Amino acid sequence: MSAPAANIPAANATHLPAASATRANCALYAGIAGLAATVIGLAVSGNVHAVAMSYLVGISYWTTIAIGMLMLVLIHHIFDAGWSVVIRRQFEHGLAAFKWLFVLFLPLVATAFIGGGDTVWPWMNPAHELLHGHGTVATDILYQKKGAFLNVPMFVGATLVFFAVWIWLSARLRKASFAQDTDGSAKWTTMNRKTAAFGIPMNALALTFAAIFWMKSLEYHWFSTMFGVWYFANCIRAALAFGVFIMVWLTARGDYRGILNKNHWHCIGTLGHAFVIFWAYVTFSQYFLIWNANVPEETFWYNLREHGDWYYIGMLILFGHFFVPFLYLLSFRRKSTASGLLPISIWIAGIILVDLCYNILPALKDAHGDPLPFFSLNLLWVAASVIGVGGICVWAYLRSFATSGAKLIPVRDPRITESLTYHE
Amino acid sequence: MSHAAEHTAEAPAILAEVKPAIVPRAVLVAHGRSFSWITEKICGIIEEKTPRWWWICFAVAGFVASWTVMGLTYLVATGVGVWGHHNPINWAWDIVNFVFWIGIGHAGTLISAILCLLRQKWRTSINRAAEAMTIFAVVCAAIFPVFHVGRIWFAVLPGWLFPFPNGNDIWQNFRSPLEWDVFAVSTYGTVSVLFWYVGLIPDLAILRDRFYAAGNKFRSSLYGLFAMGWRGSNRHWSNYEMAYMILAGISTPLVLSVHTIVSFDFAVSLIPGWHTTIFPPYFVAGAIFSGFGMVLTLMLPLRAVYKLEDLITQYHIDCMCKITLATGTMVGYAYAMEFFIAWYGSNPNEGFAFINRGFGHYAWAYWIMVTCNVITPQFFWFKKIRQNTALVWILSIFVNVGMWFERFVIIVTSLARDFLPSSWGYYSPSIVEIFTFFGTFGVFSVLFLLFIRFLPIMPMAELKAVTPEGDPHSGANAHH
Amino acid sequence: MSAQPYGLIATFDTAAAIYHAAETVRDAGYKKWDCITPCPVHGLDGAMGVKRSLVPRISLAGGITGFCTGMLMIWWTGAWNYKLIVGGKPLFSPMFAFPISYELTILFTAFATIGGMFLLNNLPMHYHPVLKYDHITRGLDDQFFVVIEAADMKFDAKATRALLEKAGGKNITELEH
Repeated sequence: MSAPAANIPAANATHLPAASATRANCALYAGIAGLAATVIGLAVSGNVHAVAMSYLVGISYWTTIAIGMLMLVLIHHIFDAGWSVVIRRQFEHGLAAFKWLFVLFLPLVATAFIGGGDTVWPWMNPAHELLHGHGTVATDILYQKKGAFLNVPMFVGATLVFFAVWIWLSARLRKASFAQDTDGSAKWTTMNRKTAAFGIPMNALALTFAAIFWMKSLEYHWFSTMFGVWYFANCIRAALAFGVFIMVWLTARGDYRGILNKNHWHCIGTLGHAFVIFWAYVTFSQYFLIWNANVPEETFWYNLREHGDWYYIGMLILFGHFFVPFLYLLSFRRKSTASGLLPISIWIAGIILVDLCYNILPALKDAHGDPLPFFSLNLLWVAASVIGVGGICVWAYLRSFATSGAKLIPVRDPRITESLTYHE
Repeated sequence: MSHAAEHTAEAPAILAEVKPAIVPRAVLVAHGRSFSWITEKICGIIEEKTPRWWWICFAVAGFVASWTVMGLTYLVATGVGVWGHHNPINWAWDIVNFVFWIGIGHAGTLISAILCLLRQKWRTSINRAAEAMTIFAVVCAAIFPVFHVGRIWFAVLPGWLFPFPNGNDIWQNFRSPLEWDVFAVSTYGTVSVLFWYVGLIPDLAILRDRFYAAGNKFRSSLYGLFAMGWRGSNRHWSNYEMAYMILAGISTPLVLSVHTIVSFDFAVSLIPGWHTTIFPPYFVAGAIFSGFGMVLTLMLPLRAVYKLEDLITQYHIDCMCKITLATGTMVGYAYAMEFFIAWYGSNPNEGFAFINRGFGHYAWAYWIMVTCNVITPQFFWFKKIRQNTALVWILSIFVNVGMWFERFVIIVTSLARDFLPSSWGYYSPSIVEIFTFFGTFGVFSVLFLLFIRFLPIMPMAELKAVTPEGDPHSGANAHH
Repeated sequence: MSAQPYGLIATFDTAAAIYHAAETVRDAGYKKWDCITPCPVHGLDGAMGVKRSLVPRISLAGGITGFCTGMLMIWWTGAWNYKLIVGGKPLFSPMFAFPISYELTILFTAFATIGGMFLLNNLPMHYHPVLKYDHITRGLDDQFFVVIEAADMKFDAKATRALLEKAGGKNITELEH
């Protein structure tokens, strides 16, 4: 038995509602401030495309985290996992963000109807001029062949379907989990398993086509069957990083004291390590196959991303998203403690944002058809939208945490004792 | 040293509310079998007189294996022309069979390594046989890339495949995925054997001591030689368990990389239908899918013949069926992505490749593949079907048939109809190829029958560790 | 006739029993002793005071060696010793060198792991006093033993026997060399 941890604020239980309400309000204000900055940016920046694209980065980032949390909860249920019961509730609170992400995505959908329609996605405007004087989107044979898929009604319909799937799956999982706190009935566990069984394929297809519509179609000449799998890897990595943040926060606040033990940290650290490797595997495969075949119709996408400072961003992603976390997490000590996992999770959360920028921002071109540099004023708008959307999502999480009526941990889940006493 | 929640004065109030719903975990060893029952059951198979059915199976397997021996001898003596290959289809049954067998091997490593990392304790009753299956499948697989060159002495000695200096002073082409295959398959075979062997050590020690006690000094020394003097020391277990975990930890990326490199054989090229970025995980998922089919095909009869229902329970069969379903669904996802992106990418050759698969000369193969791979695993959604072992066994055969056809469709249709119509062709296998391939099932069976006759088919030590008696915190008695 | 015995061996029937016995022996300050179990018992390392295994360090060394060997071999053969342009690819690129280096990393890690495990366990050791014990078959089957060596500084024929009895050991026997 170790000594009681020092510096735990006493009687934090009574402060629970007040502290979290203040924190939630902080998040909300930050969110509103970020969104306001984005709106101001649209007005004053002189490059509406850049601000809108940055907004896409911001909202994709937080949707990535939410999809990852949804996937982790679904995977937890399908595996009938034991260790993760104590943190699963926090992911379920995170799922509350989906309805807000939908609302925040609507401005992007609206860009299809404003001006030419090509504020973000060029193919939405048939009169959009292609680079190097090759005509317009409407005359582009490569657009015509996929016009049945890449059109505004399909985009809008698909976006509605994606969010409907995510919101519906989240609602089912939350309802069953929260209800089980009160009546402890096994039927909720059965319901969760069923949701997971059909939910995983649904989520897989939804995130794949979301990635295709929202990100891949920015450069609609390019294609890769691996893109959905790449996005899935980033979703899980993002959710795990934020899972660590939540675990650290709740441990520091004292809520998780006596609940989390070294093995829980080790498990989430190991899972994070596994997904570092999986992400690298997927990303390497995509790059390598395109590199080796060397066919211009595919390689141009990577060539664009070797221009100017994008080359260094690519190297940063290679070393920072794979080598550094991989080598760091080899150590048992670093994988199994809060102080070991926190720095690398912050790092990973940051690099995922860079990875999304790498995928999205080079669609912004200058007069020569080269991508605008990464290090530019655009980063200001990226930061504004990340804070803006993020503030709202964190607020949604905190609201669910404080007011949904659910307990800190699923106290009547069949595997709760196994999770509380988890040992390897 | 207790792992339970801290019992400090400020234990969280929430812990008082913990009252879990009752959904018990499946029992891994049914009827509460004791340690000694497990030892007697597994060792009994080796110690008893060889049953008659074993001799009959062995004779049949040996006969079938002779087809491969004869086919390969004829091939090497005469030349590669005895096979049905011709321009443009220069890879056909040989490479299909290679990928088929390697894929089957992957399930063994998944069960041993990946399920170990995921702490799925139910793997313990099937992992030894599955690992053996992996090794024998790799043996069958390796036959094809070595022999398909015809003049195998160039492959093997002095080694145009391995980086030893040779008569032409030239080095191997490290840019080629075929060379990567050499390293990947050799590493896979070696590490699989080593992992399997390490797992065997404690069990070989048990057999060494039992044969010694029974007076059979010869067999005792034979098992003892490989048991390395194992004596069950906990200080040894400490290093052993760590080594086992590390081997599991590296076998996982190994198995993923081997079939990835096999998929690179196709995906790094330019051929329509081959060059697509999702091939690596798609092939890995397909390999695990086919491998689990083979595990079910092998373990269900074994379970019935040796009455192992208490060790391979319905829960084990359920888990295996569900993994088959999950990986089959991943394969289905990959089919959908390939098809969609072939359309989205708007490359006319790629689009044609897919239309040709479904409606061209090999359409019959394509629809067998789709039926077996997409439809068959869907039966495993239903509990009633999972509980019918005969039906599960039949479905497992379909899974393997489907996966053979998948490799056939990928390889042959893309080669038969590539870019220029002037280089189109049609391929049929020759009699030599057909017998060589079916003979490999005999080779596999011979090796597997020898395995079940002479080596413990389940890891006794690992099984004991997952029973309640092996848990120091449960208080249960190890023998009752 | 009775030369100094190798040590004392005691039998326990359950994993829980040996777990608690191990804690007792550890707390009594013995250093040269061991538990014999038919399967790895969860948490027994901690109960015995055995530190985390050193095998991972050996494995890491093997892995690094493998990776460097692969990269070096491919660079040397293709970009130094006999330069050939194949398929328009560069003479050396970490891209195409990666698959083989990766496989060699795993192969060398496996060799290092197993070699390291045998080395740290001092195996093969086909002869050992514990293996001469009459009931060793039960030790690998369904019973648990504690062995305390006479070479240990704290060993005392009576006191050690008493400690084992107190811990619940049965059939306390002397082991010969």
